[in-house]
Amino acid sequence: MKSRRFPRVALASFVLVCAMFTVGCARQDENAVSASRENVLYLFNWNNYIAPETVKHFEKLCNCKFSQDYYSDNEEMLAKLAAGASGYDLIVPTGNAIDTLIRQGALRPLDKSLLPNLKNINPIYLDTAFDPGNIYSVPYAYTLTLLGFNQEKVKELDLPTDTWAIIFEPKYLEKIKGRVTVLDSQRELMAAALRYLGYSVNDADESHWKQATDLIVRAKPYWAAFSNTSYIKELAIGNLWVAHGYSNDMFQAAMDAKKTGRKFTIGYSTPKEGTVLSLDSMVLHQRGSRPDLAHQFINFMLDGKNSAELTNLIGSGNPNSAALQYIQPEIAENKAIFPDAESLVRLEMLRDLDRKQRRLLSRLWTEIKLR
Amino acid sequence: MIKGNLKRDKENRIAKFLVSGPPLLFLIVFFAAPSLIMILTSFRFPGEFGGLAPLVSPAGAAPGEFGLTPEAYQFFFSNVLYAEIFLKSFGVAAATTLICLIMAYPLALLIARSEKRFRNLMVLLVVLPFASNFLIRIYAWMIILGPESGFSHAVNAVLGAFGMGPVTLLFSPFAVMVGMVYVHLPFMVLPLYTNLEKHDSSLLDAALDLGASAWQRFWLITWPLSLPGVFSGAALVFIPVLGMFAVPDILGGTGDILIGNLIKDQFLGTRDWPFGSALSIMLTLAVLSVAGLATWFARSAIGSVHKV
Repeated sequence: MKSRRFPRVALASFVLVCAMFTVGCARQDENAVSASRENVLYLFNWNNYIAPETVKHFEKLCNCKFSQDYYSDNEEMLAKLAAGASGYDLIVPTGNAIDTLIRQGALRPLDKSLLPNLKNINPIYLDTAFDPGNIYSVPYAYTLTLLGFNQEKVKELDLPTDTWAIIFEPKYLEKIKGRVTVLDSQRELMAAALRYLGYSVNDADESHWKQATDLIVRAKPYWAAFSNTSYIKELAIGNLWVAHGYSNDMFQAAMDAKKTGRKFTIGYSTPKEGTVLSLDSMVLHQRGSRPDLAHQFINFMLDGKNSAELTNLIGSGNPNSAALQYIQPEIAENKAIFPDAESLVRLEMLRDLDRKQRRLLSRLWTEIKLR
Repeated sequence: MIKGNLKRDKENRIAKFLVSGPPLLFLIVFFAAPSLIMILTSFRFPGEFGGLAPLVSPAGAAPGEFGLTPEAYQFFFSNVLYAEIFLKSFGVAAATTLICLIMAYPLALLIARSEKRFRNLMVLLVVLPFASNFLIRIYAWMIILGPESGFSHAVNAVLGAFGMGPVTLLFSPFAVMVGMVYVHLPFMVLPLYTNLEKHDSSLLDAALDLGASAWQRFWLITWPLSLPGVFSGAALVFIPVLGMFAVPDILGGTGDILIGNLIKDQFLGTRDWPFGSALSIMLTLAVLSVAGLATWFARSAIGSVHKV
């Protein structure tokens, strides 16, 4: 008897679950519909990635409201969109995520006649591999993956600061054992190791990956931890002496150390072997309901003065040539934020890996963590 | 006569269903259905952009990888690495459970034996940390264990007095263990307390009258009677620790990866849902078999006590 009743209960619960899903989806569509009636621009953005005064200026200009939701990495953003999040007019993803969104057909082509300020963008940052001809994307800001360090300690210990060797070579690491962290990111750490070995960051040759893994495993005992965010605080306090991280985070660490009156300063520089450039661009979501406002916002952000406000706030790299004159000189002259022509050549953007490569890299990563 | 029996039978069945139905439905909706989805997921191909590849090839699409595959499981068994991580995670979970038990038992006993008007206050104090967010409490441990903290300095001063070198506490297996024990301690204290509070104190009085020493009273009376509390506390600690990824992420060093971190990685960084699902299913199977063993052990342990 029980066994015959079971399927009916299962069926009922299945129907219930389906109903719940449908209701959930319907809700989201309602959001999108109500958005079209309002005069609101919906932006899906990184945390702390637009200056508050910029928002105010834009709201005044467009006579509309500005609404933001946040994500803290590209995977999170992609996952939310894949799960059906909609109603966003604009998104600000990194290059490889734009690649993904384009191939998914999730983006709306730009109308460049509405973007006269596009001429302000430095051509180096246009026509990238992930969006040739910039059909969908306009560069917003960038970060470099580099080395941050406690300037006094590094000088005292006589360590080089312009090479990945400082986080990979035991002869240097011996002096700073337990005072170094590296990024907790498969792609970023592998990229650093690959560049140090003389390969491209997008090299997916299994034997090269093995070499990089060996290099990492050899250096690992000297590292304190894999860290994606806590290194900012630990550098600024003085617990860490060297960290592998992002340029805008190093900018923040340096500011924090300065503000709290520490006896040391935080420096950062791009390694001479080359590194990763992460270019974030503005793209229009296919299902956004206000492409008019979105274009107006993009053109507004392409204005040098507005664009400079973000750089002055968080120390992000700025692809906008017209912005340079508005940027504080100590930021504009920092080669770790605005690389010179010589180091620009050695910057690379990460491309997406296919599923087999991702699985293999994940296994190497597990091996790295476990050994 | 026969008719009456049939009627009663039917009523019985309806009553039975009313009693067992809601919990059964709950289990189906929140356990069986998700598990089935996960099992199906683990046999599919990962999608190009994360998520899953379609089950059937869409019309007009190039021939690719659609349908079902045991690839994720083959990958799991292709390398001894994953078995190692399971073993390590079970080791950490077992150690955490044991330390929690050793720390929680005296506390629970103290609360249960103290005056009634203080008991509720003491239980409240045990639960109080839940009032602040779990991540904030873990970050607080980062400060306490950090190399510049007073605690670190004190530990190293003591070690130095014995001629031992300074140690770093943060970003180590020790820090992970501290975090795990700290987070899960209340889950051990509460079931133990609930159990110990119900003990009949006249049993202990009788034992005292019969000349049992303090140790004998504990070992022959209190401990065996508290075993159900010990087992439920152990389950409440052991199982969540196995799935925990935040504590090793925040407090762990370069080698403190546990099965929870690996599964999380599959869904975020690596975008490999099938392998993540396969790992989760292997974990569920492992936990179920441990729980089965523990139940069997508990039954035989309690049974043997009753026989005595």
